[in-house]
Amino acid sequence: MELKLISTTDIAAFFDGLLKAGKVVVAPVLKQSGKVFFKPVQSFAEVATEYIQTTFSAKEVVFPKVEELFTYKHNEEGGLDFNDYLDRIPETVIWGLRPCDAAGFDYLNVFFLQEHPDAYFKARYDKTTLVTMSCSTCDESCFCTSVDSHPGDTKGSDVLLTAMDGKYYVEVMTEKGSSLINNNLELFTSTETLSKERFLAKPATRFSMEEIKDRIQNAYDSVEWKQASMGCYSCGACAFACPTCTCFDIQDEGTQDHGKRVRCWDACALSQFTKHASGHNPRKTQTERRRQRLMHKFKYSVENLGIVSCVGCGRCIRVCPSHLNIFENILSVTK
Amino acid sequence: MKELQNKAAELLENGTINLLIGFCEDGSKRAVPCFIETAAEANTLVFNQDCKNNLSVYLHKKEVKDAVKIGLVANVATLRSVLQLLSENQLWSLTLTYLTVNGAGELVVLSSAEELEGYVQANFPTCRPEDQEMLDKLNAMSREERWAFWKDQLSECVKCYACRAVCPMCYCTVCTTECNQPQWIKTSAETSGNFEYHTMRAMHLAGRCINCGECGRICPAGIPVHLLTAQMNQEIEQEFGGKTGWSLKGGYALNSFKPGDKENFIK
Repeated sequence: MELKLISTTDIAAFFDGLLKAGKVVVAPVLKQSGKVFFKPVQSFAEVATEYIQTTFSAKEVVFPKVEELFTYKHNEEGGLDFNDYLDRIPETVIWGLRPCDAAGFDYLNVFFLQEHPDAYFKARYDKTTLVTMSCSTCDESCFCTSVDSHPGDTKGSDVLLTAMDGKYYVEVMTEKGSSLINNNLELFTSTETLSKERFLAKPATRFSMEEIKDRIQNAYDSVEWKQASMGCYSCGACAFACPTCTCFDIQDEGTQDHGKRVRCWDACALSQFTKHASGHNPRKTQTERRRQRLMHKFKYSVENLGIVSCVGCGRCIRVCPSHLNIFENILSVTK
Repeated sequence: MKELQNKAAELLENGTINLLIGFCEDGSKRAVPCFIETAAEANTLVFNQDCKNNLSVYLHKKEVKDAVKIGLVANVATLRSVLQLLSENQLWSLTLTYLTVNGAGELVVLSSAEELEGYVQANFPTCRPEDQEMLDKLNAMSREERWAFWKDQLSECVKCYACRAVCPMCYCTVCTTECNQPQWIKTSAETSGNFEYHTMRAMHLAGRCINCGECGRICPAGIPVHLLTAQMNQEIEQEFGGKTGWSLKGGYALNSFKPGDKENFIK
């Protein structure tokens, strides 16, 4: 790991350097609705400055909401021509994501690459560099410190920037990160290890994974699931905003002659998600569906992949139309 | 507040209702929907400006329907949706009691469909001024400008279907978006597919939407989708007359015809 400093006044030059190097830079942008979204930007001026968290996560860069897997077209010889876009994915920098979002990439990596490597994810991930921004503010939905992370966590990041009086403390975590810095080396100075603590937000710790890992073993049969899910409207907002929800659906769009195959986000809260062709639905009620979502995050993924699939970003709480609260639910079902 | 809590406790105690759908505060002091089955829990109820959710949508939920005798804490928009649902022959299998607070801040308990109709008609809401302002602005735009506005907005849609999920009028057990033989609406959340979905939704709600504004308020992407249905409703009202969620016999414009209809395509 390399440690650097860059002054606040030079940060725009660093940013411009990325654009000049021909990279696609995806950064938080404030829209008229007052919500902040990750968008490709053309200048530093477009980047939102005051935001606790973006509405949706940065996973969209490596796992788009709609991803064209290939197109097909009948040719004159009576065969089919296929086209995919794997070799045309641009070098991309995600700028200004939060440490929780970057930690989400750690999970995405395990999910998509560990057992059966996903070529589409890999192609995008290999070309993506994460320039993360530590959190100096948080809100009541944030709970990263409950899931083994914190507002200055380097997990998943290539570069972590922490704002400190007039400068940024730069932790360069990977080779990808190093190459960004090296291309703009004149803007940086080297430094010793500095303490970030007093510049970081202090989100409330709701529980510890240590205690939840044990207590969730018996949670499946908890009577609390009903109360924890009654308010659920059965939409996919939580899953789509989540940095670690990876369920998808494959759809063919087009005709016999030409068309495309796309992969799009899906969500376990939607009633059709587990519906079989026979009409049978093993998760018929919302109680069962909400339980699946939470048990997956805190138990199944820990058992199957060795990693908790909740990063405490709080997005599901912020977007939920009925304000269902994941940490309150986890506490109630593991009581 | 105390009055509401006492009344709810009384109704649960004497068996008038088995379940009360209302609002309580979560750990962060936000008003959230709650489901109360015993009189002892009634003291957690709140009802204030923060209580925005249209709770009538829960009346379609299986776990709720099982209770049969249900109390509903409702603002006038919620009451209006129940009235519209009753006029569409929904919810009649339930015994509903409504608890609301009138303009003077007094608790009102309505225990029949007729009482509900009377209250709604006496307190009928008008279009929210901020919505009317936006609609006027959109209607004043050129077609190209309006297209650009919606294209920008709908490009953010991720098809989480929260707008559909919070809508009391979206009660189809299988939505058109879920039909795949034939596939009417693209599943993918790309802009053109998003246009298809939201146009379809606006058409299906034309003359049925009671303008509670929930779909727009809760959209995670901040898209004012409620303006689409609000606009459709105004057009229906203008062309066919009548008001949605006004009476038990209302039905809705696009589902009724008269033999003497001046248009002949239906004959």
